[in-house]
Amino acid sequence: MKILIIEDEQRIARRIQRMVTSFLGEQLESVCICDALPEGISYLENNEIDLLLLDLNLNGESGFDILELMVSRSFHTIIISAYTDQAIMAFAYGVLDFVPKPFDEARLIQAFLRIGGQRNPVMQGMNFLAVKKTGAIALIAVKDLLYIKGAGIYTELHLLNGKRELHDKSLEKLQQLLPDYFERIHKSYIVPVANMEQIFIDSGTRYSLRLKDGTVLPIGRSRYKDLKSKLI
Amino acid sequence: MQRLVLLFVVMLSLCSCKSEVRFQASSPVFKTGDDLKWANKHHDDNSWKTDRDNKRDEVFWTRYHISLNSKTEVNKHLGLEVYAFGAFEVYWDGVKIGENGKFLLEASREVPGTYRSCYLLPDSLNSPGLHLLALRGTQYYKSDLHRSPGVRIEYYAESLTRPLIIASIMNLMAGVFLMVALYYLFLLINSNKKNHATLVFSITCFLFLLLLIAEYCKFYVDIPYPYFYTRLEIIGLLTFAIALLVPLYFSMQFNFNKKGWLIGILCCVLILVYLINYRRYDLTARILSGIMLLASMVVAVQAISNKEKGGVMILCGLMISFLINNILFYDFGIFICFTIIVLCMLYLHTIRAKEDDRAYQASLLLSSRLKLQLLKKNIQPHFIKNTLTSLIDWVEESPKQGVVFINALAAEFDLMNEISEATLIPISSEIALCKAHLLVMEFRKEIKYIWSDFGIEASEMIPPAILHTLLENGITHSMPFEEDKIYFELTFKRTENHRAYTFITKAKNRSGRSGKRGTGFQYVAARLTESYGDKWEFESGEIAVGWFVRININD
Repeated sequence: MKILIIEDEQRIARRIQRMVTSFLGEQLESVCICDALPEGISYLENNEIDLLLLDLNLNGESGFDILELMVSRSFHTIIISAYTDQAIMAFAYGVLDFVPKPFDEARLIQAFLRIGGQRNPVMQGMNFLAVKKTGAIALIAVKDLLYIKGAGIYTELHLLNGKRELHDKSLEKLQQLLPDYFERIHKSYIVPVANMEQIFIDSGTRYSLRLKDGTVLPIGRSRYKDLKSKLI
Repeated sequence: MQRLVLLFVVMLSLCSCKSEVRFQASSPVFKTGDDLKWANKHHDDNSWKTDRDNKRDEVFWTRYHISLNSKTEVNKHLGLEVYAFGAFEVYWDGVKIGENGKFLLEASREVPGTYRSCYLLPDSLNSPGLHLLALRGTQYYKSDLHRSPGVRIEYYAESLTRPLIIASIMNLMAGVFLMVALYYLFLLINSNKKNHATLVFSITCFLFLLLLIAEYCKFYVDIPYPYFYTRLEIIGLLTFAIALLVPLYFSMQFNFNKKGWLIGILCCVLILVYLINYRRYDLTARILSGIMLLASMVVAVQAISNKEKGGVMILCGLMISFLINNILFYDFGIFICFTIIVLCMLYLHTIRAKEDDRAYQASLLLSSRLKLQLLKKNIQPHFIKNTLTSLIDWVEESPKQGVVFINALAAEFDLMNEISEATLIPISSEIALCKAHLLVMEFRKEIKYIWSDFGIEASEMIPPAILHTLLENGITHSMPFEEDKIYFELTFKRTENHRAYTFITKAKNRSGRSGKRGTGFQYVAARLTESYGDKWEFESGEIAVGWFVRININD
């Protein structure tokens, strides 16, 4: 696993690094510390990472511009910040976890465990999806989504207004961040329950789902039972 | 206010009151010498002169032919008012009806009478038709002064009560001025802020009071005729002082740009007018008050162009006063005019008082906001949470160092707590605070911070936490050149007129550090303004070795 830590407090950065190293052990491929945002961004331009550990208030600069920029990327972001009042907003933007300072090893490990696991049970999930659009970042409200389709390492966001956007995060990662009314109906599709209309059983035990706008999507055989039980 | 309006109405109605007694008096004729026959109605005075001889030691006679209107009511007693200098006996149709002062044949022993005197006319001699008034007297003092004598006939009761009524109204007004003068004087004495305009206002009101007394004391104080002009001179001088103070007051209240020039020019013009019209008492006073009003109007016009509150109101008041000053009979006009001016001044004063109060409240609010901001420095999440996180790490890794860290933090808290109440603290406390902060930050940032200062005078005072704020900015926006070291240098220089603090951060500026002035600067600026008003300058910028900030305080 490749990790980047953006933190302007040297002592804290080293503490995080130490904990990451001891937790991941051999799984850790690389860990880098940047003490300012420009350095962090230039590092990201040249390196692929799997996880970003980010302090939201760097060298007197604060704000969600940094966050928008980071959550639009393919990797997961964990915020480590002194400003607990920003936690709700951070979750709305789609961060994996928010670790308030001061933190101990247990709390940081709890955050790391979310990488492979379930959504944060406490939070209601993200409200926005940040997508890169011709250099700038655009925010898409989660409620405007019709469904999401996996496309390799990317995802296609199909919106209620018929438009389509690309997101850098994989379907698996998005599923961890989205609110729980988003159902995985297929290895390549996630649909909000409210948009579902009817399930069809086709010949040869193939199942499909018609959405309210008429779109028909396949339902994974293994997921049919689960979905049926939730809907009925 | 309502009382003053009522006063105006009463005064105006008095001005319009006309005595029902109609009479016509010939011009007086004079003759030096003494003969009781000259009191006789039928004596031929065709050869008498129209002016008096200038012989102070000799007796002279004055004669008037007076024709009484036939409509006069017979059942009312008539009174005769004589306006003349000297000591004299008064004869009406050959009958002696009274005496003003003590007339003696030996003029040098005369007892001077008053300028105005009043006599009851015998009922038997007040029938309509021609009558003769003869004055037998001397003018030993100021005999070169030829003030033309005057006579007036009206009902005797009225001629006694009219001055009393006027005097009572004027005394009432004088009381108002006295109260206002005293109130503002007490206000000045007991207020923490010595406002010079209040003093000027109080003095002006007091001078109005004196002017009223000087003008109307003639009704109840017998002033011997040699001192007649003394009173007028006092009135002139009082008017002069008021004419200077009123525009000064307005220029102070309206923050007139060229106050000195205005008052200087005004003073010269007033002196000139005074000298040119010397011994033309009422005229001088009227011109002086006219000039006063014009000068005040200049100030009010500038105030209007500067959009100052109350400017239009004051200009209107001044214009009305100007009209009254030029239209009405001086004795009344001047006081109506002055009353309007005092009302204008009072109005302006209340506006200023309100503004002062608002400014004071705002400054209190600012002070408490700044105090809060200072206290918040150490409990705001960025500082406290990052410090605590680092602290946990130090404690886990090296408990001994952890203790040193905790002590450093405690020292910074102590110092912060100590200075938080004050608006100015000794520079030594501020430096101690900076050093404590650096110690804490060394533990957090793992950078060596090196502090040095030059030319510091330990007793010098400075607003709290402004250097601390500059230091925080230095830490946040800099990174070490090499060896993980950042240097801070504080230099103090005092010259005759100002004090300068130069604060240099020797380090590499982080990208994006600009002269942009954020909350840190706002705090510093607000603190400097709180203590020094606008007598400070702040400059900052990038230099080869890092960053510099200079604060100049002008004394």
